[in-house]
Amino acid sequence: MAERGFVSKTTLLIRKDLLVETRARDTLPPMLAFCLTVALLLAFSLPGSAVLSDAVDLPVGSIALADVIAGFLWITILFAGLIGFARTFEIERTEGALDALLLVPLDRSGLFVAKALSNLAYIVVVQLVLVPVFALFFSLDLGMDWFVLVGVIALVDVGFVAIGTLFASLAAQTRSRELILPVLALPALVPIFIAAVELTSDLFMGGGLEAVAARGWFGVLLGFDLVFATVGALAFEFAID
Amino acid sequence: MSDASWKSSQSCIELRGLTVAYGSTIALKRLDLIFYDGVTGLFGPNGAGKSTLLRALSGLLRPSGGSALLFGEEIRSSSESIRRRIGYVGHESGLYARLSVIENLSLFANLYGVTSVRVDEVVDQLDMGEWRSMQVAALSAGLKRRAAVARALLHEPDVLLLDEPYANLDDDASEQVSASILAWRSPGRVAVIATHGAKRVKAFADAGIIIQRGNVISYRRRTPTGYEVAT
Repeated sequence: MAERGFVSKTTLLIRKDLLVETRARDTLPPMLAFCLTVALLLAFSLPGSAVLSDAVDLPVGSIALADVIAGFLWITILFAGLIGFARTFEIERTEGALDALLLVPLDRSGLFVAKALSNLAYIVVVQLVLVPVFALFFSLDLGMDWFVLVGVIALVDVGFVAIGTLFASLAAQTRSRELILPVLALPALVPIFIAAVELTSDLFMGGGLEAVAARGWFGVLLGFDLVFATVGALAFEFAID
Repeated sequence: MSDASWKSSQSCIELRGLTVAYGSTIALKRLDLIFYDGVTGLFGPNGAGKSTLLRALSGLLRPSGGSALLFGEEIRSSSESIRRRIGYVGHESGLYARLSVIENLSLFANLYGVTSVRVDEVVDQLDMGEWRSMQVAALSAGLKRRAAVARALLHEPDVLLLDEPYANLDDDASEQVSASILAWRSPGRVAVIATHGAKRVKAFADAGIIIQRGNVISYRRRTPTGYEVAT
């Protein structure tokens, strides 16, 4: 049998992760439970008759309700992601499969890509549930701008899973990995999530693609995606070893 | 169990001042050793450094000093081609608990480019047929051990590193593991087996090393007339 190539081996590892998750169900259900709880609590805490452009008074000033909802949407995704990322190498730890995996003739960047894409799958499922729930609870009607929001989400997700997977591999070597991961990852994730909140808030306010593109946050996201996807693939070998 | 026609002579692994330290504790102290092809038993009490030595030989553990050469190439900095030549079983099975035995073996077979015929072969060799569809999480400790050995033998490695392969095995299963190691053994291949059960490995080992507190106490190789001190 001819040896498989990089893409084929990476695909095998992703399929393995997803198969194990369909059987064990220890990553997605906690992520989804967290998201739905936050969305429900938020629905009860915000005024029911408000519209997105209404001002919300805070001790530091007033902001539009759209900003608050965009902020909560991304904070929920951020923490749900961290719950999932912390479990990135759990299936390898149970029976010591990480050793066997590290001895497989596959470039370490292949392992990184496989783990990052598995994490991406979990995040996408979470977003497929969470975004419609937010749309329903807070009467979000973006019309054609939904496609722009999907583009924003896609750009955020690339950097998010690259950073999350890289730091999950570092945290996996420690005993208190669930605590270490946020400490390591959050500083690197802050710029991406600021960009995400700014772009989403503009879309919720009806800014449309032109207004959103003019503010330069797309460039920030693209830059972070490129840097962290590259750094992740290159640094993963040192992190996992 | 021993094979009188076997004669090991080829140098496969060379340690040059290999040192491994965990913080201030030195687990292996400047080991200078040559492992020849054939089976080498690695004996010693708990904490002697057997598992550390196997992990260092596999490349999974970075030495604090010195080097380990596998067929002339440094193990740590080695490429995929060197990794492909190593079969390793540590204290745990190295398998995915939620996948069945056959799913695990097929996964690793695909990653190593091994045919499904070979998967069936190792399953038969280790008499795992009855449990092939069972998830690893549901297997007994002894069956996990056998499945782990099957995984390590799957790609017919040139270097086989086994840490306590007889742990939790009954006599029949131990015989099957020994038989599969002997079936794998051929010129140019080296196996290092760390075990407390010296008697079982001595029956077919070509060399034996006793280590204690990170030092080699004794290294002997089998000759047609008995054992000779090796370097």
